Amino acid sequence: MASVTAGGADGGKTIVDSVVERERASATPVARHKRLAHAAAPAHANIDRALPDRSLCSLETWFARAVMTPESEAEPTGSGHAERLLTRGPQLAPLERLEVYRRAYHARLIECLLDDYPALAHALGEDAFDALCRAYIARHPSTGPNLNSFGRSMVEFCISEVNSLGVLRGFAADLAALEWAMVEVIHAPTAQPLTLAGLAEVPVERWADAQLVATTAFRLLRFDYPVNIYFQAFRDGRNPKIPEPARSAAAVYRSGPTLWRMDLTEAACALLQALASGQSLSTSLEEAAAALSEISQDDAPGRVTSWFRDWVASGLFARVDFA
Amino acid sequence: MANRFDLPNLGVGLGLRTVHYARILESHPAVDWFEIISDNYMQTAGRPLYYLDAIAERYPIVMHGVSLSIGSTDPLDQAYLAELREVRNRTGARWVSDHLCWTGVAGKNAHDLLPMPYTEEALSHVAARVRQVQDFLGAPLALENPSTYVEFAGASMREWEFLARLADEANCAILLDVNNVYVSAFNHGFDPQTYFDALPFDRVVQLHVAGHTHHGTHIIDSHIGPVIDDVWTLLGDAYRRAGGASVLLEWDAEIPPFDETHAEALRAKEFTGGRAGQAWRA
Repeated sequence: MASVTAGGADGGKTIVDSVVERERASATPVARHKRLAHAAAPAHANIDRALPDRSLCSLETWFARAVMTPESEAEPTGSGHAERLLTRGPQLAPLERLEVYRRAYHARLIECLLDDYPALAHALGEDAFDALCRAYIARHPSTGPNLNSFGRSMVEFCISEVNSLGVLRGFAADLAALEWAMVEVIHAPTAQPLTLAGLAEVPVERWADAQLVATTAFRLLRFDYPVNIYFQAFRDGRNPKIPEPARSAAAVYRSGPTLWRMDLTEAACALLQALASGQSLSTSLEEAAAALSEISQDDAPGRVTSWFRDWVASGLFARVDFA
Repeated sequence: MANRFDLPNLGVGLGLRTVHYARILESHPAVDWFEIISDNYMQTAGRPLYYLDAIAERYPIVMHGVSLSIGSTDPLDQAYLAELREVRNRTGARWVSDHLCWTGVAGKNAHDLLPMPYTEEALSHVAARVRQVQDFLGAPLALENPSTYVEFAGASMREWEFLARLADEANCAILLDVNNVYVSAFNHGFDPQTYFDALPFDRVVQLHVAGHTHHGTHIIDSHIGPVIDDVWTLLGDAYRRAGGASVLLEWDAEIPPFDETHAEALRAKEFTGGRAGQAWRA
């Protein structure tokens, strides 16, 4: 599963999207309403409790419960009251009219999750993703006015879905972690990045104590699967297959309006993780020593210098503090 | 007749959509104004605001929200209102609108424009909340008539009466969505002219048009595709009744390239005697 550090050198960086934003609130128009089935009103009505009184609060409570009833249920909760609480339309019965809203509710939230997790949807396939989303919606109904954070629990949800995801569980959770990091970075505050010129102002004698403070629009993730490679293949339309487990790491960050993903080697990730956690440069190098030992002693200084340049040039750091 | 709030007729605007950001920022097309979905720029401190700032610098902005939930029996969300005001201050938005609806209750949000039962109780409830919002914002709120797919059996009035009385009691503005009138008229079997006849058009500060999806037995307000002629005709009628108002096209699914979308919006001029975009008095 992914581990996350809030917050190229190895494998380069990949632009995610420079312009397109996920649109949430525009889910209002009922574009997501699906065609209403022309089923006759059921003979046996679903009456789960007494007829609500006609107060505004009771009507809203009844209506909301009906609309949020999973579509796996044949009828909305309290549907037996529809005939008395709603009018018949020119062509649709009260329950059929109510169903327009129930279908729209689920379709809209599934579409929201699809916006956040397009690669996960591709990996699982339409039916499995749809089922995952419906279970998610039932477990994590939206409680706020904004949809930006609606999908925030998907990683944990994938981990918990032992039965439905089976062997895909770990991969799905890793991929969801990558995609959610992208959502978080889009919405993270925009910080003025530290520049190479700014870095050059740090006196040489203070380098050991320097703390490079990561920008807020930065996430560092470790995975059990190579999900960044999978995601790029998905974006390129290469119809990737589910990969075998293989440890990997990536940084997700935003520079101005542009979102980037950067593959990282274990050594680069270890050093960047130590820096992002607020350690001084010297302590970070010590902490990453084991990982850095993978690099030959001759190459290490040049490699580390090159990483620093890339990371700073990429805008991963906001400023330099001193321990 | 100008609107009683002295809000300007901004001309023909477009709903700002992310797929058009690049075109707008690269070539600054001549668009009278943009309507933003307020909620898209709330609960974020990042990229959405980057684009919003750049666009608001060049174009008049109007805010259109979807989550105020003015009809809910849950308390008004003060944090939401504070953010709404923040976005308005950031953009210098000419006015703020939302829908005559509720979006959730008991702490759960359906993210849909759910229908109100048009009762005296609901009228008092919503009017009080509109006044609260207006006091908070220090400006009139414009409420939009939603498309609806049900009506409540216990209603004591129809939507047009409710909206007219609400506007009067709360002293709020109206964003008249003529496509929604068309959609609801089909779904509930009423005449759009009956709706128009009941409205206080001096409170109409903005008009919406959009495409919809006809399913035979009912119409869904999908905001897909071009506006049908019957809706354009209704727009012309509403425009004349209002003595001119800012007109806006909403297109939210299968959105075409910017120029095509804008060209569709500009069709409003054909149905308003070429007057949309001009200050015009009857």
